[in-house]
Amino acid sequence: MPSPFLTPGSHSSLDQLALLHLRRDHAIPTVLRLHDDDNAGYKEGKVTTTRFGSFPHSTLTDQPWGSQIGASKVDTGSRRGRGPQKKQNQKHLKRKAEELDSATTAGEGETPQAAVAAASGFLHLVYPTPELWTTSLPHRTQVVYTPDYSYILHRLRARPGTTIIEAGAGSGSFTHASVRAVFNGYPSEEPQPPKKRRLGKVCSFEFHEQRAEKVRQEISEHGLDGLVEVTHRDVYRDGFLLQTPKTGPSPKANAIFLDLPAPWLALKHLVRHPADGSESPLDPTSPVYLCTFSPCLEQVQRTISTLRQLSWLSISMVEVNHHRIEVRREKTGLEFERVRGAVVFPKDVDEAVTKMRQVEEHTRKYRESMLQNDDDESTPIPQSTAKKSDPAPAANDPPVSDVPAYNQGRLVHRSEQDLKTHTSYLVFAVLPREWSEEDERKCREKWAPHQIDTTPSEKPKGKRQMKREKRQAEEQREQREQAQAQAQAQEPAAAAATETA
Amino acid sequence: MHSHVRPNQFVAFKLPSEQTRIQKIVPNTEIFLGKYGAFPANQIIGRPFYLTYEINETPGDATSKYLRIVSAAELHAESLITEGEGDGDDLELNEDGTPVRSNRETVDDRSTQKLTLEEIEALKKESSSAGRDIIAKLLESHQALDQKTAFSLAKYKLRKERKYMKRFTVMPLDVSLLTNYMLEDREAAKTLELRDELIGLIGCWGNVHHGGNTAGEAITSKPDGRYLVVDDTGGLVVAAMAERMGMLYPHDGEDEDEDEEHAEQSKAPENEEAVNEEEEPTTNSTKRPRRQMSAQGNTITLLHANKQPNLNLLKYFGYEQDNMSESHPLYTNLKTVSFLQLLDPNADMIYAQEPPVVPEAELAQYKSSKRSSYHRKRGRWMRTRRVVDEARLGGFDGLIISSMMDPGSILKHAIPLLSGSAPIVIYSPTVEPLTEVMDLFSTARKTAFIMRRRELEEQADESEDPAELSQRVSAELAEEFPIDPTTLLSPTLQTSRVRAWQVLPGRTHPLMSGRGGAEGYIFHAIRIIPKQESIEAAGDPARKRRRLGKQTDTPTDTPAASGDVEMTS
Repeated sequence: MPSPFLTPGSHSSLDQLALLHLRRDHAIPTVLRLHDDDNAGYKEGKVTTTRFGSFPHSTLTDQPWGSQIGASKVDTGSRRGRGPQKKQNQKHLKRKAEELDSATTAGEGETPQAAVAAASGFLHLVYPTPELWTTSLPHRTQVVYTPDYSYILHRLRARPGTTIIEAGAGSGSFTHASVRAVFNGYPSEEPQPPKKRRLGKVCSFEFHEQRAEKVRQEISEHGLDGLVEVTHRDVYRDGFLLQTPKTGPSPKANAIFLDLPAPWLALKHLVRHPADGSESPLDPTSPVYLCTFSPCLEQVQRTISTLRQLSWLSISMVEVNHHRIEVRREKTGLEFERVRGAVVFPKDVDEAVTKMRQVEEHTRKYRESMLQNDDDESTPIPQSTAKKSDPAPAANDPPVSDVPAYNQGRLVHRSEQDLKTHTSYLVFAVLPREWSEEDERKCREKWAPHQIDTTPSEKPKGKRQMKREKRQAEEQREQREQAQAQAQAQEPAAAAATETA
Repeated sequence: MHSHVRPNQFVAFKLPSEQTRIQKIVPNTEIFLGKYGAFPANQIIGRPFYLTYEINETPGDATSKYLRIVSAAELHAESLITEGEGDGDDLELNEDGTPVRSNRETVDDRSTQKLTLEEIEALKKESSSAGRDIIAKLLESHQALDQKTAFSLAKYKLRKERKYMKRFTVMPLDVSLLTNYMLEDREAAKTLELRDELIGLIGCWGNVHHGGNTAGEAITSKPDGRYLVVDDTGGLVVAAMAERMGMLYPHDGEDEDEDEEHAEQSKAPENEEAVNEEEEPTTNSTKRPRRQMSAQGNTITLLHANKQPNLNLLKYFGYEQDNMSESHPLYTNLKTVSFLQLLDPNADMIYAQEPPVVPEAELAQYKSSKRSSYHRKRGRWMRTRRVVDEARLGGFDGLIISSMMDPGSILKHAIPLLSGSAPIVIYSPTVEPLTEVMDLFSTARKTAFIMRRRELEEQADESEDPAELSQRVSAELAEEFPIDPTTLLSPTLQTSRVRAWQVLPGRTHPLMSGRGGAEGYIFHAIRIIPKQESIEAAGDPARKRRRLGKQTDTPTDTPAASGDVEMTS
């Protein structure tokens, strides 16, 4: 079955993972099913309940990806054993929203009832991507987020056809991102065609048994079997060979990502010739790229020191600083009174002075009236009158502009409120292919080491050029033939001419 | 994978000065690396990447030149030694706790170096050991060497090595390297100052990946992995995407051993086919029908603003626009369509003017040059027709924009070409164009749009035909809202920057200087298909009514008021 992560097709389909997008950074992953024996209750079959309504899976299946889906009226009350829930649902969802969002329940009815559209509520049905999965996956460990993994995979040269080793699978966010990066076709049972392409693969190692099992289950649910191989393993001790330690087949990895507390302990296995005589887990025909992901500087120092001892090259360490930016319209000005989110404050000096003139004027008038009345009421009226009279001059001002509300104010941007100022330090390194005296000798035989053509040959001829030359040659030949034909035709004549001469 | 240096391939040389040089490795030529010397290309062809070489030679004897591989142990020697000395962080101390050596006594003039410029020049000429003896001499004749602290000595040595060592490292030319090369060694403006970390983000948020087994497998409902691109970086973004889609490197994924045989095999038939390159798929190309821009899935469709797209940088990957290699994957999988062709194809000459069909019999009498030019013109017309029509049909799986043009104007035409759930990514070196895009999809604008649409629909007479009505409504809406703000889901703006560190025993700190310039920003969102009829957001009707009395009530209210109200749309 194709994976919705890699080849989603145009419509959602049964038994595939789909994401129910509620709002930014909040999507519910769910496998679309009409029936589910997990839980009993709904007449409509499997239903996902969110704070924005209930969504029977029959309304979500076979829809174009990206569709806006309306909520349905679902009888949540008559389900067996869920009685008390009814009132809570009908009351309000807010309190229970968080837990409800993740509560997926399902019916056992033989034929699910057709769903009835509800008056309000909707969500968007989108296909899963590693990015959306990263924000919606069930957290088991610290997650490697998009800004980090996008850079890591780029630097690791994880491209279609690459085999990548990942150690600590953790919550599986990097697993999903890397399988997308290396994917170049599903493995098939059929015998490989003679000109075989190497298929990309992720070899994921996790030493926590339950987490390994969970990742394995997710991989299977997401249709990534055969593309990701999850191994439960303590890699410090047992290395990176597949299936069985020491004797299993080599993954022949081109890229390695270590999200481990002590990466230096795993590095001894990632060499061309392991000390214990077992096969190397690395691809012997290509350079191997490595990245380690460690939050502390001390870890980095130990890792790099070990990398130097093990002859890794191009060692570098970086940290990724990423932030999101909020964009909004900042409305400042006296005309924005009673507009939500606006700052009622003079927008410029002119406005401030005009406003103060008005206030002064009112005070003056008030004083005059006070003097005239010769009264001594000392309530703080001046301010209140000034305030009261405020709308009047505003009305005298040029009327509120006809600019629609969404276009008012000034467009500004700022960093998001909560910044992730540090995730981890990334250490990168490269291990070149091995190169023996024997290889060098062969190469020398093939490419004479000191041969330098005195006339630097022009750049190799391209298709066009070859074509042109071929055409020219052909034309020349044709011309020659024609000339010959003419010459032959003319020859007798010429001969005759000479004869007559 | 980059297993070894192939003849006629572009590779990069990292020089001791940290500079990068890109050169094509033509067999039987000499490669010049400026002041670091020259060497025969044949001595690196077939060898692995990432090795560091030293150029050794006996002065005056050209054939004595040989490259010595500098081992990793040698490259790391210095840091390994200091590590051996107890992590290098405990300085030698006097009895009173002050360091034995400090820079207090340092004389700040050049008199400490006794070697004169002439002597150094002479040494350079005689040198046969790739500059190592020069550095040794320099250190020897430095008068105040013993006054230097360990750190300043290391720095001094490093500086001299950068200047005199005849060393270089051979690196495979890939997108990451090219990005840094354009940024640091060339004109960064040409690539819109794109940085590595942003290319990574573009690729991930754009969900750019290989579209699966394109050939052989049963065609499902639609081909996968069709991306729409607007790229004004000279082809860097296209290259980055092609790299992620597995079609940038002609030799990628081939098995090592078969490699060379295969290359030779495929050479021969190519030449024969070359003449028929542009022709319609006739009988002769049954074996490998590789028509230009003919691939169905895993393709990039490039929208360009001028008559010809600018894809200069692709030449480093063996794809030259005016001299295309038929065997390159991009030959079939990169399609180019101009904005004119997309928006008004009949105004484009190549698209609109069909070269007249010449009957077979007449064609046979043509001279071969005329015949092939006829086939070329027909081929070009048919190709343009096919590619443009296909682009106009839409259904793309992603949109990537890195353009000098106003992104809003591109979105207006490109969003309708995307299928649902397709990601949209826009890169801009500066933030302002993207804040404007964010504003085009602001919640307030969405709300106003939905309100206006409802208003227009309610105004309509009952007699009006629903189809006409919806047409009229969308026409009127388009006046106020050039782009339908409800077509994108969760628009997000972000930026990312990598900070490099120096990690040495006892001397770990972030690098002291870096590149300024454009920060670089990424906008991304997901294309969605809103329902034609408006759906109310879920929430407490009583609370909604209260608010309705005041202002508006739609699925998209401002975040501050969102209480229980669904706010995505």
